[in-house]
Amino acid sequence: MSPRLIIDLACLATFACMPLLAHWLHEPYLVSFFTRLAIYGMAAISLDLLIGYGAMVSFGHAAFFGLGGYIVGIVAFHTSQGMPLWGWEGSNSALVVWPLALLVCALLSLLVGYLSLRTSGVQFIMITLAFGQMLYFVLGSLSLYGGDDGILLNERNTFGALDLGDANHFYYLCVALLAGWLLLCRRLVNSRFGFVLRGLKQSERRSVSLGLKPLRYRLTAFVIAGTGGGLAGILWANYALFVSPDMGAWHKSGELMAMVILGGVGTLLGPLLGAATYLGLEQVLSQWTEHWMLIFGPLLLLVVLFGKKGVYGLLLSLLQRKPKRVAIKPNAAVEARP
Amino acid sequence: MSAQLSIHDLHKAFGAVKATNGASLELAKGELHAIIGPNGAGKSTLIAQIAGEIFPDQGQIHLNGQDITRVPAWQRPRLGLARAFQVSQLYTEFTLLENVALAIAARDGKAFGMWRPLSRDTRLLEPAQGYLQQVGLGLRAQDPVHELSHGERRQLEIALALAQEASVLLLDEPMAGMGADESARMTELLHSLKGRYAILLVEHDMDAVFALADRITVLVYGQTVLTGSVEQVRNDPQVRAAYLGEEHA
Repeated sequence: MSPRLIIDLACLATFACMPLLAHWLHEPYLVSFFTRLAIYGMAAISLDLLIGYGAMVSFGHAAFFGLGGYIVGIVAFHTSQGMPLWGWEGSNSALVVWPLALLVCALLSLLVGYLSLRTSGVQFIMITLAFGQMLYFVLGSLSLYGGDDGILLNERNTFGALDLGDANHFYYLCVALLAGWLLLCRRLVNSRFGFVLRGLKQSERRSVSLGLKPLRYRLTAFVIAGTGGGLAGILWANYALFVSPDMGAWHKSGELMAMVILGGVGTLLGPLLGAATYLGLEQVLSQWTEHWMLIFGPLLLLVVLFGKKGVYGLLLSLLQRKPKRVAIKPNAAVEARP
Repeated sequence: MSAQLSIHDLHKAFGAVKATNGASLELAKGELHAIIGPNGAGKSTLIAQIAGEIFPDQGQIHLNGQDITRVPAWQRPRLGLARAFQVSQLYTEFTLLENVALAIAARDGKAFGMWRPLSRDTRLLEPAQGYLQQVGLGLRAQDPVHELSHGERRQLEIALALAQEASVLLLDEPMAGMGADESARMTELLHSLKGRYAILLVEHDMDAVFALADRITVLVYGQTVLTGSVEQVRNDPQVRAAYLGEEHA
């Protein structure tokens, strides 16, 4: 079994068994933690599409996370208050609200991407940061929707036969969407489109001379990533039952970027592991000190300086260089023996 | 004689430097036309204008009868122009096969597929393997490009240009930096392409130029001063004095 497959299966098994494990350990908090992980993981994976495969270092990715959440929040607000929105009664069904929110996120990323992709490198970082902050201040100025305080939601959206109010149901929905998103992104980066995107990173001149217009491919990737960030935001609004402008603020974008770098740029699964490491460290370290960033910062620095592909790369090299270590995993040991 | 590529009185200045200063030439169907000129003659600037990376200040470029003077670079391949770069522009993280497969996908305008993995797409890989074999890289198809030698990279540049199935090939110093053996092999490869494509060849290697070219245009200070057969150019006193030196006399 290849090291990649081992990591895939280990992740899948962990996510699949978590509610059971939490039940045995009498730690219901674990399910909540892993729900958060699935949501942040989804946002980080979509950011990795841009950073790792398109060399588009977006510092405004949280804008789509925030916008997705806000659409859910705003619709829920109007629905529960009985205030029609442009004549629409509102809806609490995920099958109505979520596609709407995704569409809005896709449109915003189309606009932001179209304008930002005229630049590259540091200018691109700054302009995406500026767009992110613009959205942040717009959300904060919506006094009908609580301004800086945001919106409290009464209940989660309804989703067919699933009871999203149930922690386990909601958790499994998040995990299923995360797995689906990850698989989709993997297909994407290995497809023709993915090769064009990765090719643009290596030689834009060659791509142009092959007849490819760079903006088309980069913008498409930007919209896909923005929509993925929006889906994560939608889930977050349902998870926390609360949205605020902070969801779209620059430090949220920074957190997502830290997860991608920590987990391994351009590995897709890595950013999920990065999110796990980030959220885990935040959990553990913040119990010691509220200045947990003091410890996290140097750690991130070490990864950037010495770890080529972050946590994911580290795991891969552990599984590859020292095959005997693999024997710790019972299913892998069977394969390892001749 | 219908020209597949024609350049008429092209001018391009960078500040006070007139990099292209009245360049005209015609590339006939199936012709291998070489451009020679001393360093700084403006060969690279001329190529960049034909490829569309920079636009001329004045003059026209026609490709297969169509005025492409202001057509953006990415649209020119679809009108029949393919190019090999002076400094290799390759996807070094991909395998050779993936490089060529991508060129084919781009040529067919089918580069937006998001589901089927490129590296298992036989509709791309089989023809890609064919182009690699044509340039003598068939056995290296599965290797990543960053493992290739300098000479092999130049061969791959040619394979990519072939994969575009263009009528006009723009080859910018394909022998640059090559040893004698590699140069000879490249000359042989280009010879095998003669007649099938209209080739505009910019090259410093005079032995290769004299062996391959149907016609030669001499570029001096951005101006095309002479176009003629190998014999005419070889024996032109002005060219010999300015450029060729005594060893070719």
